[in-house]
Amino acid sequence: MASPVIMPRQGQSVETCIIGQWYKAVGEQVKVGDILFSYETDKASFEEEAKEDGELLAIFYEEGDEVPVLVNVAVLGKAGESVDEFRPGSVSREEVSEEPEAEEQQATKELSVEPEVIIANEAGEGRLRISPRAKVMAEKLGVSVSKVKGTGPQGRIIARDIEQAAAALPQMTRLAQEKAATEKLVAGEAETGIGGRIAAENLVEYQSVYGDDFEVKKLSNMRKLIAKSMHQSLQNSAQLTHHMSADARRIMALRKQLKAKLEAGELNQNITINDLVCYAVIQALKKFPQVNTHFLGDSMRWFKKVHLGLAVDTDRGLMVPAIRQADDLSLEGLSSQLAAVAAQCRKGNVNPELLKPEAASFTVSNLGNYGVEMFTPVINLPQTAILGVCTIVPRPKDLGDGVYGFVPMMGLSLTYDHQALDGGEATLFLREVKDQIENLTI
Amino acid sequence: MPKVQFIDPKEVRKAGEVTFKPIPVNQYNKSVEEEKANFSNEDLVRIYHDMVVIREFETMLNDIKTKGEYNGIAYNHPGPAHLSIGQEAAAVGMAYTLGVEDFIFGSHRSHGEILAKGLSAIHKLTDEQLTEVMENHFDGKTFAPVKANFKGTTKELAVRFLIYGTLAEIFARETGFNRGLGGSMHAFFTPFGVYPNNAIVGGSGDIAVGAALFKKVNRKDGIVVANIGDASMACGPVWEGLSFATMDQFNQLWEGDMKGGLPLIINIMNNQYGMGGQTCGETMGYQVAARIGAGLNDDQLHAERVDGYNPLAVIDAYRRKRKILDEKRGPVLLDILTYRFSGHSPSDASSYRSKEEIEAWQAVDSIIWFGQELEKAGVAGADELKKIQSDTTDLISWGLKLSTNDEVSPLMDMEKYPELIGEMMFSDESVDSMEPERTPEVNHPMAENPRVKQLVKKERFAFDDQGKPFSKIKQYGLRDGLFEAIVDRFYKDPTLIAYGEENRDWGGAFAVYRGLTEALPYHRLFNSPIAEASIVGTAIGYAMCGGRVIPEIMYCDFLGRSGDEVFNQLPKWQAMSGNVIKMPVVLRVSVGSKYGAQHSQDWTALAAHIPGLKVVFPATPYDAKGLMNTALQGTDPVIFFESQRIYDIGEQFHEGGVPEGYYEIPFGDPDVKREGSDVTILSIGATLYRALEAADQLQDKYAMSAEVIDARSLVPFNYEPVIESLKKTGRLVITGDASARGSFMKEMASTITELAFDELDAPPVVVGSRNWITPAYELEEHFFPQADWIIDAIHEKIVPIKGHVVSNNFTTTELLRRNKNGI
Repeated sequence: MASPVIMPRQGQSVETCIIGQWYKAVGEQVKVGDILFSYETDKASFEEEAKEDGELLAIFYEEGDEVPVLVNVAVLGKAGESVDEFRPGSVSREEVSEEPEAEEQQATKELSVEPEVIIANEAGEGRLRISPRAKVMAEKLGVSVSKVKGTGPQGRIIARDIEQAAAALPQMTRLAQEKAATEKLVAGEAETGIGGRIAAENLVEYQSVYGDDFEVKKLSNMRKLIAKSMHQSLQNSAQLTHHMSADARRIMALRKQLKAKLEAGELNQNITINDLVCYAVIQALKKFPQVNTHFLGDSMRWFKKVHLGLAVDTDRGLMVPAIRQADDLSLEGLSSQLAAVAAQCRKGNVNPELLKPEAASFTVSNLGNYGVEMFTPVINLPQTAILGVCTIVPRPKDLGDGVYGFVPMMGLSLTYDHQALDGGEATLFLREVKDQIENLTI
Repeated sequence: MPKVQFIDPKEVRKAGEVTFKPIPVNQYNKSVEEEKANFSNEDLVRIYHDMVVIREFETMLNDIKTKGEYNGIAYNHPGPAHLSIGQEAAAVGMAYTLGVEDFIFGSHRSHGEILAKGLSAIHKLTDEQLTEVMENHFDGKTFAPVKANFKGTTKELAVRFLIYGTLAEIFARETGFNRGLGGSMHAFFTPFGVYPNNAIVGGSGDIAVGAALFKKVNRKDGIVVANIGDASMACGPVWEGLSFATMDQFNQLWEGDMKGGLPLIINIMNNQYGMGGQTCGETMGYQVAARIGAGLNDDQLHAERVDGYNPLAVIDAYRRKRKILDEKRGPVLLDILTYRFSGHSPSDASSYRSKEEIEAWQAVDSIIWFGQELEKAGVAGADELKKIQSDTTDLISWGLKLSTNDEVSPLMDMEKYPELIGEMMFSDESVDSMEPERTPEVNHPMAENPRVKQLVKKERFAFDDQGKPFSKIKQYGLRDGLFEAIVDRFYKDPTLIAYGEENRDWGGAFAVYRGLTEALPYHRLFNSPIAEASIVGTAIGYAMCGGRVIPEIMYCDFLGRSGDEVFNQLPKWQAMSGNVIKMPVVLRVSVGSKYGAQHSQDWTALAAHIPGLKVVFPATPYDAKGLMNTALQGTDPVIFFESQRIYDIGEQFHEGGVPEGYYEIPFGDPDVKREGSDVTILSIGATLYRALEAADQLQDKYAMSAEVIDARSLVPFNYEPVIESLKKTGRLVITGDASARGSFMKEMASTITELAFDELDAPPVVVGSRNWITPAYELEEHFFPQADWIIDAIHEKIVPIKGHVVSNNFTTTELLRRNKNGI
């Protein structure tokens, strides 16, 4: 019995995946565990293994095709078996399944007021009478011919019928219409929507000043996602940032000790300054549970455990994987998990569930390595706050007895949602983080 | 009907009688001994030799056809071999006196004549001339295998060349005289004066007359011999050829040195059978074929019967007849009595004749008899004759081996060059004058011509500045466009002649030639007998020899009268000659109306169906002049259709009107006469104006914009502009005055469907004439396509037009019914 290979579902939020590469060709024998194909979501790429032995009988989607999850992409079985029952409807049908109903009704409605005598399609036996020109035109314009009434001889569907049906179709997809209106965009050159309609992604900002002195490059899915969430974050919350510095002498000393241990082989894990800062933040969060929260408008999620999000810079863009129950981890464990998840992000095979903003209860974004002295991180909604960790700079400090010396100070920038937290609470939490850093014990 | 010839009732109504001179029959009675004064021994032996070569050549062909081998050489020849074994004396006698500049034309049974004329020519040409001929023919392709390793004399080499070129042609080899495209029944070699042989019985009967006309009109040396069979004397085109050849005007109207008869011998190779039909006693009534001469003109064609079993009798006849031709008293008819031992073809069981009869003729076999005579007269010894026999066997064996050797004598490589034959269908040359070194003979400078002067005053565009049409009489019409192109060529090409019925004094039945009579001497423009086969057939012969010619057959309906000439001869000879021959013939054909069933038919499809013809049908003065110029500049046969409906139509399309100067319109390009976007109407010929009328109505009544394209040419035809139009409109009506069934409109519809299926919003719809007889003028609107037919067809088959009420039945049910009933 042949069996289908489906596009796996990668997390609740993923609707479609793009096929990366087929490693097996139709006709090849496949064993359980053989990699069939790779695919990617907005944020990560995966490989799908064969779940059973057999011959790869058919491949329904090519590399680069966007495939809805749970749709059959291939068939495994014995040579000669039929694959037709597994053949999915076209992608486009999947995508337009909701819209066209309405559109076609609209189209037929318009057609039916045509003053012409409309002769019913008389071809009979379920066959459609349609001229070659009309057929080609229908494909090009994305008109579904099954409901178009032919006005040609013997009720044949002719070009003018398709033209009319096409005119009744919206020229922009609904999403594009909405987006164009809200974001003041215009149609770009590309028309990638069904039937050559303008899809949301085809909208561009019209810049008359620059003329054509630029190249329009499409955003990657990931970029689009980041853009969307960042924008929404600023629009949907009352963010402000407090800055403070922490004496970094202690943490630097610790780092020195740990490094020496690593080199001596006493320690397996390379514990970084960032790990130490995260460890300190976790300790502070335990004392300030109102910061370890999600703000939901009329309610808040108070987390019992700390799920720490860490902003990771990758080639694909910014990713924020979460370390679940980070407060249960030792410093070494935390360090190891942070390293692992960051590596997964960079490789692109991190579990998408961990990338959702809901997965973390608080986020740390560390730009210290890049020499940033102060910034205003953007909250990963619905989280309540985010801590920006800045670079260490020597600053004059009262060393006691009126003696001032230059001390390495680490900048801390806490952005919080004023809807959820008041300034005092936020300041106290930031101060706690500073204290934890300055007095960190392992 | 020239005015100078007065038909006096007193004279023609007088009582009297027609008398005939006796027609000589087998009067020659000299022995070899007596002829020794007229022939050297060498000549006499050569006559024997040539007969032996022919006999052996054909015996070999008979052997390989019937036994699959000759002299131990096996070969299977699937093609035809119509042999003339037994007729050698007639062939050699015919060719003996002929010079290289004398042309012979033949039949399907002409191997012997080819060899006889070829051997005669080789004898007369110098070594240098022979070498040049052999080296130049297809750049030495035929010569190469022959000369390889050969160490004899040039004459011997030339004999081998003749044997090899003919055999390779018979066996369809690329090295044959005509690249293997002619074959056994059509082999020829013009450098030796051997012109096309013809597989249609009597085919040369009119073509040869045209060749003689060419020689006369262009003052070329030499005579023309038409070798046709005794049975072909029954064929209409042969009679038409004879009628043409004996026109009184040659002696009574042609002027100066042109006065006098054609240099032509109708040489009946009378083997007394037409396939199996016995011409004397069964299928004909003339008893003695020479009798025919008495019926044709006062000279009785100087006809006589000659014993074709004695080569010296035939030679004697040719010497005597030559004198008659030199005195411009031709043509001559010879009835050369002979007999073939071999069957009509190798499959002939000779069921129609007795063994005794064949044996009786074999007993007087001319080769044996002539050999004995030579021995008796002491011209040659038995050994010498035997040596000729054995040398000839060697020669033929050599020829068979070489011509069937696939390495040196390959067939055309149609796999490597699949379009080889396609490329030979047309010569596609652009030639101002067929003989540029000669000055055309005309009666006055062109500017002094009354018609030319009259045309200066005509309006070359139909409308004035305000778009108002000039009066018909003021408008420069389509016939004027034709005239300008033709008169221009008459002043450019000295070989150009035109003829047909009523071409001279009348100015052509439709006044196209008005004014030409004044411009041209008789021999360049004359009236022909009402004999379309001869009009076209002679034009073919004229063109074959190197002239340009415009035959005209008045009505398209008369094409059938010249069916063989238009379908079998005119289109074939360029390719069948391997492109040795050019065929610059522009056949003017006029499509009528008003005159009923036999004077109103558009037969463009018949012409277009035959490969090798170019077919055009202009509908405007601008197109008529431009296309006629192109036709006359080319070297291919063109069937030039005209319509009697529109000879007087003015130019309505070409901006600035019809140019006064020379211009050409390339064949094949259709012309958009009106731009539009909703439907394309492609029209052929005069139907253009009804298509435009339909376009007007579509626009005015239904706001439908029709694009009207005039096909102009049918062969060749460039479909691209039509497809471009279809991309716009998606809808196509093809209209023309031909009966729709099997028309060129249907051909176009089919081709366009193949080419542009995806562009079509409906099948291309053909609106042609009904498949009926053409009724009287008063009922013609029910027969020929009308504007409302076109609109009805669009409404019914392409796109229903809101508010249109049909008046003609274009439904599919009706289409089915008509087809079921064959109407």
